[in-house]
Amino acid sequence: MGKIFDPTEHTLPNNCVEFAQAPQALVISDRVRVYFSTRERDSVGKYLSHIAFVDFDKSMQNIIDISKHTVIELGELGCFDEHGIFPFNVVRDGDRVLAYTAGWNRKVSVSVDASIGLAISHDDGLTFQKYGNGPIMTASLNEPFLIGDAFVALYGGLYHMWYICGTKWKKFVESDPPERVYKIAHATSEDGINWRRDGRQIIVDRLNADECQALPTVFHRDGKYHMYFCYRQAYGFRKQSSNAYRIGYAYSDDLINWERDDSKAGIDVSKDGWDSQMQCYPHAFQLDGKNYMLYNGDEFGRLGFGLAVLDEKE
Amino acid sequence: MFKWEKLGKIFDPRDYKNESWMQEFAQSPSVLIFERHVRVYFCSRPAPAPDGQYLSFLSYIDLDRENLLKIVNICKKPILSLGAYGTFDEFGTNPVSVIRDQDDVRVYYAGWTRCESVPFNAAIGLAISHDGGDTFARLGEGPVLSCSPDEPFLLGSPRIRKYGEKWYLYYISGKEWLRTDGKPEPVYKIRMASSEDGINWVKFGKDLIENKLGEHECQACPDVIFHDGKYHMFFSYRNSHNYKSKEGGYRIGYASSVDMTNWERCDEVAGMSVSESGWDSEMVSYPHVFILDGATYMFYQGNAMGRAGIGLARLESPQNWSGV
Repeated sequence: MGKIFDPTEHTLPNNCVEFAQAPQALVISDRVRVYFSTRERDSVGKYLSHIAFVDFDKSMQNIIDISKHTVIELGELGCFDEHGIFPFNVVRDGDRVLAYTAGWNRKVSVSVDASIGLAISHDDGLTFQKYGNGPIMTASLNEPFLIGDAFVALYGGLYHMWYICGTKWKKFVESDPPERVYKIAHATSEDGINWRRDGRQIIVDRLNADECQALPTVFHRDGKYHMYFCYRQAYGFRKQSSNAYRIGYAYSDDLINWERDDSKAGIDVSKDGWDSQMQCYPHAFQLDGKNYMLYNGDEFGRLGFGLAVLDEKE
Repeated sequence: MFKWEKLGKIFDPRDYKNESWMQEFAQSPSVLIFERHVRVYFCSRPAPAPDGQYLSFLSYIDLDRENLLKIVNICKKPILSLGAYGTFDEFGTNPVSVIRDQDDVRVYYAGWTRCESVPFNAAIGLAISHDGGDTFARLGEGPVLSCSPDEPFLLGSPRIRKYGEKWYLYYISGKEWLRTDGKPEPVYKIRMASSEDGINWVKFGKDLIENKLGEHECQACPDVIFHDGKYHMFFSYRNSHNYKSKEGGYRIGYASSVDMTNWERCDEVAGMSVSESGWDSEMVSYPHVFILDGATYMFYQGNAMGRAGIGLARLESPQNWSGV
């Protein structure tokens, strides 16, 4: 369906001018609210990622509103989410909306670290209050850094979270700063707050051991669980399209064992245009019986996001 | 009130021609008792980098069990390397607490990383020795105790204990970073967690010790010892500002509890204060109390946060602590 939102065409809160990354949908009675991470430059010229949203009507063709206020504050001095929130995964839980954030904080020897936070909305996702100043999931014994990209769904009364964890920081070129490697993992919870995890990589590598896997999104259809995610090379992924993010696919019968088969993803970079260099940050959602997928294109979503709809004939 | 006889400074790395990684500082003493000697683990530092920043390494000395004033051995290299790129303990391992676990020895330590907006962050790591405490290997690249919704940063100052079959970890958690004219300064408080295996922890989730110096008091090194039917905690506390001076510097406080969750603070009882002059005349901190061959001792660090080394005191009275 092509690109449906360009942040440079709108006025965004928090002095944000570009980027609409990792779009994620909350279906409301008369609209679909799509949260995304957008960016401002701080006083030292570095980016801060903020959450904003845009409301579409249910045709997903027309924008009917855009957030004019701060959806969620960045963290206080020294907190895990001081320098940005990206992405922002929303899930309905009774009459409240839970948001699983990845909070970013800047470091010295490596550029950043990340942890997963929780925020709760009681006004259908207009505003969110943080569940504490600290994260609900952060570095642990076998997951040493970079915990983020949560996607939460309820199956059989149990909360399931797919997320990513860093496995190493590696110097590919001595004069360059270290680059990160991260993989998709799975956690479960009875309350959405306290999580059990085993640090197991659940999606096999396709490129090599340094493959970076990000932003899993899971849905259930026709008796199977389906996961979309994105993956890339660990080095040279910013400028060289062949190393950049692509969208991968895996399926599972039991939410434990996943069979990766990217050839069945059914989506790939376009010949030209906004998603011809890379595709990343997929988010699947269901609306009026149809399966949609939001995703970003070139430059990690600097100029917006697009939408695809699952062809029911396949 | 406890009455301590100060036995003097035991070890100052500056008095020795040591390896480059042990130039100054002996911080956070923690003892492991052997048949013939007492091993004192502590944290020591190489000279600072050109930007003034320090690393900190885990070290030990061995003291003659018959005469604790006599050093019989100094470790030749750090017992644990620093962590890899981006890990929680890349820039230092300090403080430390040691415990036997059957044939193994475990060290719990705070690992340090460096951040952009605040100078550092910390989380608690675990390393295990299978050779009686000479060398250690990390259990994993990440921490065993890290931040959570109401403990947002700076988890450190671990003291590990085992009572019955249960493990207890007393530690500190950051509350707030205060903005100052210079670097931000942290406020931290004493907390506790328990565990069946010493690896997976359940946090108690409350500050254990009431403030004495106001909301911004910093509390550290909760050293707990069970004796005469009560839990006794010696700890350090200071102001959040001007703490590098004698006036604002670390002092040793005391609290007791019968159930480990409700603590009554009574610093006057601690009985350990700064000396008139000498190596511990400006600060005393990081107490570690232990019982050996019928006597009770306290190791502690002195001026300039332990730059001047560690010293020892012996308890004179009381013999029975139940009425303290």
